[in-house]
Amino acid sequence: MQRKTSVIIEILRYGTIFLVLGFFVFPIFWMVLTSFKPEGAIMVSPPQFFFTPTLENYAHALFDKNFLFYIKNTLIISVISTAIVVAFGSLAAYSFARYNVGDGHILFFILSTKMMPAIAVILPYFLIFRDVGKTAIGKSLHLGLDQHGALIVSYVMFNLPFAIWLLVSFFLDIPRSLEHSARLDGLSRIQVLRKVTFPLAAPGIAVTAVFTLIFCWNEFLFAYILTRKMASTVTVGVESFFTLQGILWGPVAAAATISVAPMLIFVLVMQRYMVRGLTFGAVRG
Amino acid sequence: MSSTPASSGPAAMPKTKGAGLSDRWFSVLLIAPAMLITLIFAILPLAQALDVTFRMGDLSRGKIGDYVGLENYRVVFADSAFWQAGWVTLKFTVVAVGLQMILGVGIAFLLHGATFAKGLTRSLLILPLATSAAVTGLFWRYLYDTQFGVMNWVLGSLGLPEPNWLGDYTIALWSVVLFDIWQWTPFVALIALAGLQALPKEPFEAAELDGASRWRILTTLTFPLLKPVLFLVLVLRTIDCVRLYDAVAVLTRGGPGTATETMTFYLYRTGLKLFRMDYASTMAVFFLYVMLVAAVFALTPLLKQFTDRAKEA
Repeated sequence: MQRKTSVIIEILRYGTIFLVLGFFVFPIFWMVLTSFKPEGAIMVSPPQFFFTPTLENYAHALFDKNFLFYIKNTLIISVISTAIVVAFGSLAAYSFARYNVGDGHILFFILSTKMMPAIAVILPYFLIFRDVGKTAIGKSLHLGLDQHGALIVSYVMFNLPFAIWLLVSFFLDIPRSLEHSARLDGLSRIQVLRKVTFPLAAPGIAVTAVFTLIFCWNEFLFAYILTRKMASTVTVGVESFFTLQGILWGPVAAAATISVAPMLIFVLVMQRYMVRGLTFGAVRG
Repeated sequence: MSSTPASSGPAAMPKTKGAGLSDRWFSVLLIAPAMLITLIFAILPLAQALDVTFRMGDLSRGKIGDYVGLENYRVVFADSAFWQAGWVTLKFTVVAVGLQMILGVGIAFLLHGATFAKGLTRSLLILPLATSAAVTGLFWRYLYDTQFGVMNWVLGSLGLPEPNWLGDYTIALWSVVLFDIWQWTPFVALIALAGLQALPKEPFEAAELDGASRWRILTTLTFPLLKPVLFLVLVLRTIDCVRLYDAVAVLTRGGPGTATETMTFYLYRTGLKLFRMDYASTMAVFFLYVMLVAAVFALTPLLKQFTDRAKEA
């Protein structure tokens, strides 16, 4: 009797898990499936699960809509932003973790800027970049509206707090004794950082980099407001598939699949670290 | 501070001869680049926004103009659309966060007891989190399509009513909520699951030996121990929902009418469509103030955890 009920419970459990996963995976599955559908299989009722796959949507997105241009912009902006965030963030995080600089107050200030809704500062950002873009320095650094520099600066600003917090949690995990003995061996503080601490923190730094990259890649509001055409990223590019005739779902699905795929792969690779990253290092997954 | 000679125990770094900088200056130098960026690009825009709240700022008629005192605050607080947007935001946040917490914790318990295909289930659950709300949100419009959408096809096959998901003003907000649930319930589930797996074994074994009922263990042991983790998730989700923008922008654009116009979307519309920088900035400053109060509650426990470890190690 006991045995029978536990079997029923297990069947119920896995059945429910299957349904739950189905709900979360289906929209992405459907998006990928739609991207391979010929036009005649998209705007039909009932929805088609079987069809002859085609690459015409990808061709439309990549060649007619020049989606590679948005990918290129996104890549440039995300990679440069991530590099700056990780470089500055690691130094600052090390200082917080080892020297407790500011006794929590500065750290609090930095993370509190992460809680700031982007929309609250988007108007000043818009005005600042509009004006800075007209100056000589602004021109040489591409800081004007619809230029890469403006988005890079915004992304650095909005991802630094998060990166610092995550990195602090990783640095705290590294035992101090190793640095102590390196110091006693006569290494300077900078040498200790370079030769002992950063190599040990490399996995944590990599995780932070991937998280920052994902956030930059997926960002929409800044890209939407601060760019028009030349510096637009994939999230804005997908919007350009709205036409007067309506939305071209096939090409939208293809473009969406292309823009989402790299991040899906990243996330699968670093599945183990997702929880830690998403909770600012507070919960270890 | 670990830099003072008084605390030259295990906390202080050993000093080497001839090191030019004190620990204190070294630590300040390390945070300088990050601090500089944060100060310039957080404080400057905020100062500018604050300044505009006291001035005329109709960009459609030209530049930011004269100082008008608290006039903008008076206008904003008297604006029924502002309160309407606040009400929409409140409804959205309470329902979305509430459902995500309940479903997420439920899924965590479900997965905690499962032993089969653990890695795979977790990998699949993560996927919505990796996608951009602006991109997948747009695609959800196809799922919600009244004629060709999968949603209504499923409901129709089951003999259920087929709603006009995004077009009916009584339903549209809940359709956005459903999308947010899809994207963020896995977040709650994964973190609650990590919390469940990190629970200490001993108290549970002791409770079972004492013959405590499952319900009693759940209410007196599991949930109290999970509380810090669940609190963090709750606060992070609340902050994100209050400032929701992307999903509204791609799914409904605030419509139909103003049925799904959240605070952030109303702010966007006044500022960047109507170019009323003064009203928009006033709302932004008010909004920011509310968020900062929330941030203090959210961050204090987390901060304490970090500074304690930084001091002791």
